[in-house]
Amino acid sequence: MRVTVSHACHRRNDGTCYLISVARRLPGHEVLRGDAVEIRIADTTVRAYAHESIAAAALASGAHVLSRSLKYHRPRTFFCLEGHCSGCLVRIDGVPNLRACQAPCASGTEASGQNAFPSAEVDLLGAVDFLFSRGMDHHTLMTGSSVLNKIANKVVRQLSGLGKLPKQAREEAPEVARHDVEVCVIGGGPAGLAAATTAARAGKRVLLLDDQLRPGGSLRADPRNGRALAEQRWQDAIDAGVTVLARATAIGYFPEDDGGVLAVAQPDRMCRVYSAAWIWATGGYPQNLPFPDNDRPGVIAARALGRLLVDHGIVGGEKVCIVESPALRAEMALLAAALEAAGAHVDRVPLASVTGTRGRGWVHAVDADRKIDCDLVAVAALPSPASEGARQQGCKVVLDPSAGGFKIVVDEQGRTNVPNAWACGDVCGYRGTRAAAEHGAHVGGEVARGG
Amino acid sequence: MAGKIVLCRCEDMTLADLEHSVARGYRDIEEVKRYTGFGTGPCQGKECLACVATELARLTGTPPAEIPPFTSRPPLSPTPIRLLAKDPAAHIFEDEKK
Repeated sequence: MRVTVSHACHRRNDGTCYLISVARRLPGHEVLRGDAVEIRIADTTVRAYAHESIAAAALASGAHVLSRSLKYHRPRTFFCLEGHCSGCLVRIDGVPNLRACQAPCASGTEASGQNAFPSAEVDLLGAVDFLFSRGMDHHTLMTGSSVLNKIANKVVRQLSGLGKLPKQAREEAPEVARHDVEVCVIGGGPAGLAAATTAARAGKRVLLLDDQLRPGGSLRADPRNGRALAEQRWQDAIDAGVTVLARATAIGYFPEDDGGVLAVAQPDRMCRVYSAAWIWATGGYPQNLPFPDNDRPGVIAARALGRLLVDHGIVGGEKVCIVESPALRAEMALLAAALEAAGAHVDRVPLASVTGTRGRGWVHAVDADRKIDCDLVAVAALPSPASEGARQQGCKVVLDPSAGGFKIVVDEQGRTNVPNAWACGDVCGYRGTRAAAEHGAHVGGEVARGG
Repeated sequence: MAGKIVLCRCEDMTLADLEHSVARGYRDIEEVKRYTGFGTGPCQGKECLACVATELARLTGTPPAEIPPFTSRPPLSPTPIRLLAKDPAAHIFEDEKK
């Protein structure tokens, strides 16, 4: 069964369709985009650039709905653009369940949607969403009769799961690499880069792991010259002697294994990392906010919108509505000003006033104290501390909604309760790029001094 | 689409599902996870854990600091299993047999 990503289309009165493309590449960013390449998205050849992710290229070419959700088959697409949500899972060159936002555009790359019949935009299984408009409790669904229950189980098993297996097996499994260092910094955002650079300048052998296509983290979404700062601090870290691994994701810490080992996945191999000291600088994940129909395509994280603009030179929408939590008012004023300078119209509404969103294939309005027409909704919520790796190591966390979620508990030197583990930046509670960098430099210095 | 407030987009878990879970007596974060399936999709709770825990605190009148996170298990991010195939730990049971 062929499943395709659909290109957003508006229907004219006479019934014909025309393609719309809400995202717009800004002129003057050619150098950062890299060389032009052609890739295939949903059986359509589109222009992309070597330094763009497939997600960025898809947005700029008007490809919108990528897949369908597991239970109600609601349309799904990009949300965080940082490889952490499940919104942009697609099939790339025959391999299912890859994140479009973490896949680079190479010439000839072929991406298609998944999890829908017959296509992601027109998915007949979406009827489930209407049939169970008030929700569905799968514990009691079709359990009245055992015959009916057996049939229901068979149907559900056919429908559930994500993607289809590749047609052929991959080549032989790669060898596992090994790194032994004095300091391992997990996360290459403002805090991690600063911590690594400071520790390396003090003479430590430092390894920095970052899971994105390029290090820089939230700096790459900061309209205050964030992209240039990210490049500069990445270079500073390398100049200080830090070994920087990009596209390297910490997938688990195993305290019982050889006195503690961090498993790290790169696109084509695994590494075991051993370190005398650990610094968690994993930042926070962009979050959605709870308002009705907060999952429509076109509702994306505000930081993703900032990332598109700052890192890719792409204006995500021409009429943007920012739904914001009060804690991020200052940051959103900066983002709105940068978007307006790029020619977009921006409305900002507080979360408390939002009663819903409109639009089927793509959002077209927000209902607040008035109806706000838009072609993109950006959600500004406090990022949730990315503390789950540290939790596997035994680091204590506490739920603090004013800090974004489960923050790592640290003392003034950035020490956790685990003797050789420190933490810095937004993973200890949201503080923003500048304060995170200062915290990182401070904690990196403490670790180099031996705590 | 109806006005669903989605808390976990991977598993389509809504605020109404959380309320239903609490009403049936599943009020602990691990119980809520098992009852609703939230946090068990490809993102493993990166987008929903803080939000569900905060809403759970509100619904049950529990101070947030008393709500623990659910257990974090590897892999923290979807990982092709072939990358693990040559790791010594992947063969520990095989070795033990010899």
